[in-house]
Amino acid sequence: MRLRARFGGKMITAVLILAACAAGVSFMVFQQGMVLAKDFYIIGVSPNAPILDDQRFHIVQVPIADSAQVLKDKRIDVYLTGASLYYRNDDRSQYAAGAMKTYLGKREIALLAQNYPLNQAFPLRVEINYLKAPATDIGSASPLTLADILSKAAKEKAAASPPTGGDITEGAGSQPLPPGEAIPNETDEMVRQQLQGLQSAKLIPEFKAEFAGQGEVIVPSLMSPPIPLAQVMLAFAYILPIFFISIFFTSGFLEEKLDRKLNILLSAPISPFQIIIGKMLPYIGYSLLIVILITLVLHGNLLLALAIFFPVILFIFAIYLGVALQYRTFKDQTFFSLVAVTGITGYLVFPAMFVGINDLSYVSPLTLAVQMYRGVDITPYQYMLSTVPMLLIFVLAVTVGSRVFNEEYLLSFRPLHVKIRDAIYYAMNKSHLAISTAIFSLLFIPVVFMVEMGVITISFNLPKALALGFSLFICVIIEEIAKSLTVVVTIEHRLVKRWFQVLVLALVSAAFFFIGEKLLLFMSLKVISESLFTTAVFAGNMLWIPLLVHMGCTSAVCLITWKTGLKGYPLAVLVGSLLHGLYNLSLIGVFK
Amino acid sequence: MAMVWREMKALRKEKTIMFAILIQLFIASFSSVILLGIMVYYDPGSISQNSQVGLDVGVIGNHNSMLIKYLVDRNYRVRIYDDASRAEASFKAGRLDAIVILPDSDKGVVNMKLVLPDMDAQATLALMLLKDPMERYENYLRDQEGVTLRYHDVQGKPFTTYEFLYTLIIPILMFFPAFIAGSMVIDSISEEVENKTLDTLLSAPVSINYITGAKIIASVVVGAFQCILWIVLLGFNGFSIQNAGWILLLSIMITGIIAILALLVALVFRDRERSQFIYSLVILVLFALTYFISPSPFALVARLATADPYVGATQLIIYFVMLAVLVAATPFVTRKLMSN
Repeated sequence: MRLRARFGGKMITAVLILAACAAGVSFMVFQQGMVLAKDFYIIGVSPNAPILDDQRFHIVQVPIADSAQVLKDKRIDVYLTGASLYYRNDDRSQYAAGAMKTYLGKREIALLAQNYPLNQAFPLRVEINYLKAPATDIGSASPLTLADILSKAAKEKAAASPPTGGDITEGAGSQPLPPGEAIPNETDEMVRQQLQGLQSAKLIPEFKAEFAGQGEVIVPSLMSPPIPLAQVMLAFAYILPIFFISIFFTSGFLEEKLDRKLNILLSAPISPFQIIIGKMLPYIGYSLLIVILITLVLHGNLLLALAIFFPVILFIFAIYLGVALQYRTFKDQTFFSLVAVTGITGYLVFPAMFVGINDLSYVSPLTLAVQMYRGVDITPYQYMLSTVPMLLIFVLAVTVGSRVFNEEYLLSFRPLHVKIRDAIYYAMNKSHLAISTAIFSLLFIPVVFMVEMGVITISFNLPKALALGFSLFICVIIEEIAKSLTVVVTIEHRLVKRWFQVLVLALVSAAFFFIGEKLLLFMSLKVISESLFTTAVFAGNMLWIPLLVHMGCTSAVCLITWKTGLKGYPLAVLVGSLLHGLYNLSLIGVFK
Repeated sequence: MAMVWREMKALRKEKTIMFAILIQLFIASFSSVILLGIMVYYDPGSISQNSQVGLDVGVIGNHNSMLIKYLVDRNYRVRIYDDASRAEASFKAGRLDAIVILPDSDKGVVNMKLVLPDMDAQATLALMLLKDPMERYENYLRDQEGVTLRYHDVQGKPFTTYEFLYTLIIPILMFFPAFIAGSMVIDSISEEVENKTLDTLLSAPVSINYITGAKIIASVVVGAFQCILWIVLLGFNGFSIQNAGWILLLSIMITGIIAILALLVALVFRDRERSQFIYSLVILVLFALTYFISPSPFALVARLATADPYVGATQLIIYFVMLAVLVAATPFVTRKLMSN
């Protein structure tokens, strides 16, 4: 309905024309091959140099006689002849040489395959075997022992000996054999397959289950790493359409807010929760439809894809609900939406880049999607680690959203931090402060977790020595704020009358935050399967001391705020963070 | 001038610029993480150089193989075993990252076996770290067969980071402010339309072109400021940007072009939601189209930033002409659109 109302007449023509242009242009770009670094390296070539077919190279013909001078004058980056590559010592030339090395290496390998028999061109074949690794007590996929692998090797050797015996040794010696007379090797077929992979340049990256399967034979010079592009492509295929839909959701919401149509709804006999869910449902429906369509196009497992992306959809809508509830002007909304898009995309894409390299990649549901397309099984723990935080954030957003859904809150113009405190105040159950505090502490954890991930990512910009300290300190501040915020709101609104009430709430908040945090850690460790580490963390002392530290710091923050009032809160957070930070530093052994 | 100040003040109040800068910081950070991801796959060598990843390799079979020499050359710890069960025990105890089983001689076709831990992460890393010594060994075997590879002794520097930074990140950082500028122009126009403040301004003795001109100039100034900031920040991080003046000029001209286009879109559609949507699509199509200009704005920034002697002021003329045409035509178009 809404989409139709917005996009009628002039609009639809414009959208159609533009969409057609976009499709046409992207098709043409796709046909040409997308190269960002067009003509980036300047390659001087001699008349007898091989032909370079790569758009990154800007080719300049230079006679051999002038080559040294031209290279010295920096009019070319490197100079290529039929036999050698010449370059300078400066960075520009060195990088160009690096790029040429990779390009020429591949080209030469392809030439080898054409000009020599397989046995001479690719004399080394490596069979990959997996052996049950140390410290893994989980069910292993390979029941092999080294003796199995070795006895297999002995059998193969016996089989490979030619029946004539004696006169020809294995591998046909160093005499080059003319093509056609090469002694066939049983690994030849596998080499041929890899050669085919090299020759047919794939535009769409493959979802390889792993680098090399059990018993797979690889040739080092033909070995190509799995391209992480697949993850990024998946992100764009699934996430971008959901973003588009959720932007319409926010815009619609905001517009009704400004038109005061929401006021009419508020006076109707339906609960705020029903209004929010009712507004969200159609858009969630559209998003699910898109997930179904994309999965069908990509030939994925439909049920699994829905199970993976449903929490992601809810998460994205939760963020956008927050944006819509907090802001009154469109300008605010544009920028907060942009921040949200960048943040969410980063959070989803960044861990998924490390699929198969680091198991922490399972914090992103996108990793599950990559694994689904690779045909790898997903364990319940992995599924929970990536989806539970998202679902919790949705619950948080909707709960708080339906509590703050009143005219006074929605239409007030106040700074962000005041609006957040107000939201907590409205969302609280005033007769059960301790329970509210505990629930908020738990619900804040995924938010803290995601913000901390963002902080760690940003710290990559800093020099290494600074990065650790910076991210540690900011993370501590974030945690202290998360633990104390609810209590501070009770102080602000005079819901607590005595200092020991503050203390009790602070202790409850810290304890539940700690429990939630450890649960999250437990889940991630289950996924990472470092059993030794798990036992170390859950062994006696390691649990009690951090719990006491959490409680102590939060109590300090809350009590200082109780004494000094809201103005003292930043100072209180700073004190609490310093205490917490000192403990963390001693933990990583700075003071030893 | 007073109008420009009014716009700048409005922008400062909205704190939007802070967000824009924050977003760009995010882009830059996430790119560096993504880059790290790519490097793990393509350039394990550079990671092992940086973090001193050692590798413990057990060898069973030919003790005189050249492969052992190449492994030692890379500073991997090599242990030779006569007895498979001892090798297996070491592997199970976690003292070995990989076991290599070699045939008796380095002649002819060598079918070797590589035993890796049954753990995704470790196996991938070990295989990537072994790729280089195995390739050298392969070249040695080829050489024995009378097959020589050309150019295999070229050194050079690993280029992935360099290429990624100069052809993707720096151009994005230089053009993102332009995208934001257009978006800001649309917000500012549609807000004035919705709040009906445009009518008030129009009744004052200023022409519509002063108002729109002020909005565009304000957005270009803000865009330029962000570019300068990025150039300085990248400099601090040790990434030198050559021809910074030309790059800045290019970025300013493109910001101007985009801001004017955004203005026209906003004046045609008037409400914010549709304008922003159409604007995003227009930008998408335009940026894709620039791919066919040679050099494209992206490539031009990359080549200017690395001091390519074949690019300079001449390549900027086309953008200057485009901007000039738009600046000349906009007053007429604006008046026409307003009178409708």
